[in-house]
Amino acid sequence: MFSKRDKLFFLSLLPLSISLLAVLVVSVTTIALRSLDALQHFGLALFASSIWNPEREVYGLLAPVIGSLTTSAIALLTALILSIPLAITIAEYLQGALKSVVSSIVELMGGMPTIVYAVWASQYLVPFLKQFAMEPLHSALPFIPLFSCKPVTGFSVFAAGVAIGISIVPYVTTLILEAYQSIPVMYREACYGIGATRYESIKILLSLARPAIIAALVLGFARALGETTIAVTTVGNSMYLSSCLFAPGYTVSALIASQFANAYLYQYAETVLYSSILVVVLIAIALSFYGSTTIVRWRLRVVV
Amino acid sequence: MYSWRKLREKLFTCLIIALSVLAIAPVLHIILTVFVNGFAVIAKAGTSFFTDLPPTPLSKDVGGIAPSIAGTLLMTAISLPIAVTLGLFAAILTAEFPSNPLSLAVDAIAKPLASIPTIAVSMIVYTLVVVPMKSFSALAGAVALAVIALPYTYTYFSTALRSVPSVYREAAFAIAMSRWGAVVRVLIPVARKALTTGVLMTVARVMGETAALLFTAGRFRTGVSFSPTAPADAIPLLIFDYILSPYAVWHQVAWGATALLLLAYLMVFLATKLIVKEVRL
Repeated sequence: MFSKRDKLFFLSLLPLSISLLAVLVVSVTTIALRSLDALQHFGLALFASSIWNPEREVYGLLAPVIGSLTTSAIALLTALILSIPLAITIAEYLQGALKSVVSSIVELMGGMPTIVYAVWASQYLVPFLKQFAMEPLHSALPFIPLFSCKPVTGFSVFAAGVAIGISIVPYVTTLILEAYQSIPVMYREACYGIGATRYESIKILLSLARPAIIAALVLGFARALGETTIAVTTVGNSMYLSSCLFAPGYTVSALIASQFANAYLYQYAETVLYSSILVVVLIAIALSFYGSTTIVRWRLRVVV
Repeated sequence: MYSWRKLREKLFTCLIIALSVLAIAPVLHIILTVFVNGFAVIAKAGTSFFTDLPPTPLSKDVGGIAPSIAGTLLMTAISLPIAVTLGLFAAILTAEFPSNPLSLAVDAIAKPLASIPTIAVSMIVYTLVVVPMKSFSALAGAVALAVIALPYTYTYFSTALRSVPSVYREAAFAIAMSRWGAVVRVLIPVARKALTTGVLMTVARVMGETAALLFTAGRFRTGVSFSPTAPADAIPLLIFDYILSPYAVWHQVAWGATALLLLAYLMVFLATKLIVKEVRL
């Protein structure tokens, strides 16, 4: 397959360039090995209750796992509502200097350290959401279980979801924008050719890009799942499992951030935490693998 | 009928623009509040903010964040070459052998690798580096940072190398250059600006990372240390601890440190923009 010279070149690149593969394998193996103890000792019962009591070596990870999934779902909803319009605005409505300024702002948001979001969210966003979203929703719709509890501090699953959502908006927007702009121009011409208005043509183009948009959202969900700093500062850190979004909760990464430092003092605490992150890592890797291959396949189909 | 279509068009445009404004409003508010709060603290503390140790919880004085600045500089300096070297080699491999199964595999796992939560990386490095070394260290922190930066660095670099038109490579082979020669003397020089941007983006990612350092770097805040094997602090780590604390003076320090971090990030970001502006092949 290779000529001799090519083979030498290939081999000289090999040792350093397989680092990505090595890192992935080593990471997953390490977490899996470290969580074996907990999985053998507690079995699946570990994910059936919500308790964190290392003194008595009793653990249950239901609340953080559910909390991670709920916050990510809220984050996804937030990102969905904001990202698609932002992508459309950049692609359809803005031109020239304004377009490049807004694209740069999106890029700026995307690379901004999450700790900056976390500081802002805990000091400004949470009180704002408490006053203008949680309290109105609670007093207007108290009979819906999701809104049934009175927001006390504001630090809650809901606040964490919105805060994480805001932080993944640039990521999801970039993915949607890439997909939207890679639709060949002939589709748009065809839309205008049959007399469609801009709204109608956007609707058609969006439906064409739907698989890629869903994949972008899946990737966003995977990213929201692992978010740590924003989650710890806004979720309220409580092991109590509630059906209400306005009650403080936990996410897996928030639990680890607050408990891992002292976990070595107890027999099973560390390995329990490793098994909790194992769940998140496996879901995140599977989702992002699915998302990125879907986008590639969509591009091959639509963009010839 | 006709007027309904026209009205719907207008309503749709208004809704889209309004939601877009809502989408970018947070970042503007973040920059505003961080700078207003943070620079007030830095102005109050003066230059000692960069040279002093952090205050005790009940002190009146704001003090400084010198240990964290030193730690961030040190860990960035250690992790950057690791991530850049590994990322560059992987990018050369996938750019030079695009259809090789190994290249396809490397390319396919870049996104999943980036999706591993950073706190998981912190736990992995804790097991593999901190426990065997029996102490937290700047080195462990830097390894965690390099692991997190690697998939991003690889993606920047491979995009940069693939954007080089193939005529350059063909020209290099036409004058009997070896494959390595073509890479080192043609491919990399042609893509140098995009590659530099990639390095800067890596710096931006590495210096702002928090969760990766939680269980790796340690939290050495009682002096300025530049030893790789000793525990170190980092600016994001300090912000994280202090903003979660109940003490007013620590909150102030956290705001000051956040403003400093954001300013550094904005400067790196601006630098990447200035470089990209010049790229015209």
